Amino acid sequence: MTQAEIIEALLAFIARPDASEAEFEAMALQVFAYQFRNNEPYRRFALQRGRTPLAVRRWRDIPAVPITAFKGLTLSCCPPEAASHVFMTSGTTQGVRGRSYHPTLAVWQRSMLDNFRARFMRGRARIRMGILFPDDRELPNSSLAHYLSLARRACGTPDSQGFIGADGLDLDGLLAALAQAEAGGEPYALLGASYSFVPVLDALAAQGRRFALPEGSLILDTGGFKGQSRELAPDAFYDALSAAFGVPRASCINMYGMTELSSQFYDDGNAVCPSVKSGPHWVRSRVVDPLTGADLRDGERGVLVHHDLAHFNCVSAILTEDAGEIVPGGFLLLGRVDGEASKGCSVAVAEFLAAARS
Amino acid sequence: MIAHAGHLPGLSREAVRWREVAHGAWGERVVLALPELDAAQAAALCEQVRENARGRLKQMPVARIVDAVDAAVARLLDRDHPLRRKAEHLLPIVTGYDRESVRLGLTGYLRTFRRPQLLRFLAEDFANPAMLDGFQPAAKGGLLRAQGPNLLLHIWAGNVPALSLWSLICGLLVKAGSIGKLASAEPLTAGWFAGLLAGIDPEIGECLAVVWWKGGNAAAEAPFLQAADTVMAYGGNETLAALRAKLPVTTRFLPHGHRIGFGVVAREALDSRKAPALARLAAHDVARYEQQGCYSPQMLFVERGGRVAPAEFAGYLARELAALAHRHPRRALSPGEAAAVAGWRGAQELRGLEGAAELFGEPADPWSVVHVEAAEALSPTGLNRTLKLVAVDDLAAVPALVGPYRAFLQTAGVAAAPERLLRLAERLAAVGVSRIAPLGRMTAPEPGWHHDGRFSLLDLVTLTEIEPGAEAAAEGFASYAD
Repeated sequence: MTQAEIIEALLAFIARPDASEAEFEAMALQVFAYQFRNNEPYRRFALQRGRTPLAVRRWRDIPAVPITAFKGLTLSCCPPEAASHVFMTSGTTQGVRGRSYHPTLAVWQRSMLDNFRARFMRGRARIRMGILFPDDRELPNSSLAHYLSLARRACGTPDSQGFIGADGLDLDGLLAALAQAEAGGEPYALLGASYSFVPVLDALAAQGRRFALPEGSLILDTGGFKGQSRELAPDAFYDALSAAFGVPRASCINMYGMTELSSQFYDDGNAVCPSVKSGPHWVRSRVVDPLTGADLRDGERGVLVHHDLAHFNCVSAILTEDAGEIVPGGFLLLGRVDGEASKGCSVAVAEFLAAARS
Repeated sequence: MIAHAGHLPGLSREAVRWREVAHGAWGERVVLALPELDAAQAAALCEQVRENARGRLKQMPVARIVDAVDAAVARLLDRDHPLRRKAEHLLPIVTGYDRESVRLGLTGYLRTFRRPQLLRFLAEDFANPAMLDGFQPAAKGGLLRAQGPNLLLHIWAGNVPALSLWSLICGLLVKAGSIGKLASAEPLTAGWFAGLLAGIDPEIGECLAVVWWKGGNAAAEAPFLQAADTVMAYGGNETLAALRAKLPVTTRFLPHGHRIGFGVVAREALDSRKAPALARLAAHDVARYEQQGCYSPQMLFVERGGRVAPAEFAGYLARELAALAHRHPRRALSPGEAAAVAGWRGAQELRGLEGAAELFGEPADPWSVVHVEAAEALSPTGLNRTLKLVAVDDLAAVPALVGPYRAFLQTAGVAAAPERLLRLAERLAAVGVSRIAPLGRMTAPEPGWHHDGRFSLLDLVTLTEIEPGAEAAAEGFASYAD
């Protein structure tokens, strides 16, 4: 299959929410064959695991690459210089950022929008948005900046605004917009990185101010705190959002995404934490034993593996560093699986790296 | 069954609140009850131990303490003694280490605390150990007397069985009133040992206590941290820094942070006869205590130019680790530990794709060896039997590869001819290595070793000296003075 053919096949598949399990499997195997042929480091990885397109018959057997591979290896089916967009992770390992190469954003955008409309917009065409993150001109290599900018362009009303620019957070502008929305009676959506909400919450608390946004208003947060703000436990965070903006926790939606994928996962609100997350029909998630890569039984805690067919140019099957558990309707996201400190008195990687940094 | 931990002289079991913690491994379960003292009990216990030590322990000749420790250790070495049987039964369930490793480890470790070895400890640090009992002539003139702390607090960490005995015994030898805080991962041996001592010499038993609190619980630890005049603590740098910040400035703080061990194999040790045996010894060091010890090797530097090439030696190591896994199965890993192993292995595998590393063992194997040809600096592995072998052109390259991590260095296992051993040792010493052991003995320091390069007993004591001038001046006031 050529690049044009695989793109066409994927766009057609994304447009078919009724696709059967067998059809997903067939598409997944095609994408794997495409990546095996065109992505040299991935082919070597698959060969080492003894998983070639001839040997693999089920999507579950497609070898998943550890997410750190995006830092060390150039995982791209097209020559990297032919990529129109390169998304980079914000986190680094010893200064190296993970990269995803996109020869076109056509599939990425289709994936993002179809899923965003289904899971966040819920039948609405547009909503007035306030965005707590820099836009894609400011951060051209940030997949989240692209995500939020696309959301605003495609699903926001013309009076939607971004409140984080080169000068940081425009708190006055945000408060004015919130007050206006509160008075106007039209639903409002506040979207941004989880850590971007924290200074806003703190400022509101300091001023003793609260908003009661109109019914139907929504909040979308993503990505956790990443050391960019103080950490809040999920319940405390959603309680605080709900109290500050008058948006019930059931309308506070958390998006789980990553630079190393082309699709996102959503929950249906955070009335209860941890919430159940799920992806669209072109994505499957598994929970595996990190050592053997073998599937764990539903309800057992392990490491999440995602198969995202839309990530066709890199690698569709990735082994994350996120702990999870398969539950009815999706999976629970249970934080990062950080390598544990030694149980004895030997030094382990985390402490060693921390010392090297300081 | 429920096993009660700790040693709390003067407190009845009913008077104390107990926290029950379940442990399970090797198909068995045990519930441990850990004491949680309230602030008043903690303060009273500190006061009591300090007072008892002042009135009793400090009045005893050190020889009596040596005898009591020797007798207690003899019981723990006796495989028919009920406590030894209990230890062999419970420690594998609590720590997860396999039965044979626990049995062999206990015996090997405890035999370093018999009477002759204890006397060696004393002789190692004191030119004349009698200065612990009274003033003794000093070489420069005058008289010297050594006093241990009135109240020494040990804060233990980690799951290596019986590790706590080392510092506990050191404290007793210098007649310190001693309180030990158990490690949650091995909260048994110290309490058993204290109980044995109390049975053998009840007066000594009154001068030590073994307690527990949940690590970081500020309210629970405060009475102990305030009362101790010396604190010996084990743990990661973050834990140690937090602890130090809570201590009064006048308290002596003796931290033992986490360490990383490594091995060095010279080309002269790599012929077809010696290399397989060496690989077996190195594999033993890796497998014993699953690389959880401060002395455990995580990396091996192997010199090129021997008859057995580094790549071949890596193959020997892989075979030996595979064989050891049958005799001594690896303990079950927690999800975090499994993730650490998988993360490290995954990273090595990816380097392997670029031809920069050769990986031995399957992902599901309970061990991994990776071999790299390009020299690289010391770094931790995923622990739990994961080893990196680095080929070097010459042993002389090793000090520069480990030197940047001085703060984490301690043990190096070296296999080299005498002259080269000395030359290498000189340079390893300069970058901060404090112990050079043969391969196969890295996890078994000899009696009287200098833990982290320090004096185990001397660091604990304060000296009082009677200057020669004072002695001479006193003559002027004697009744017989002319």
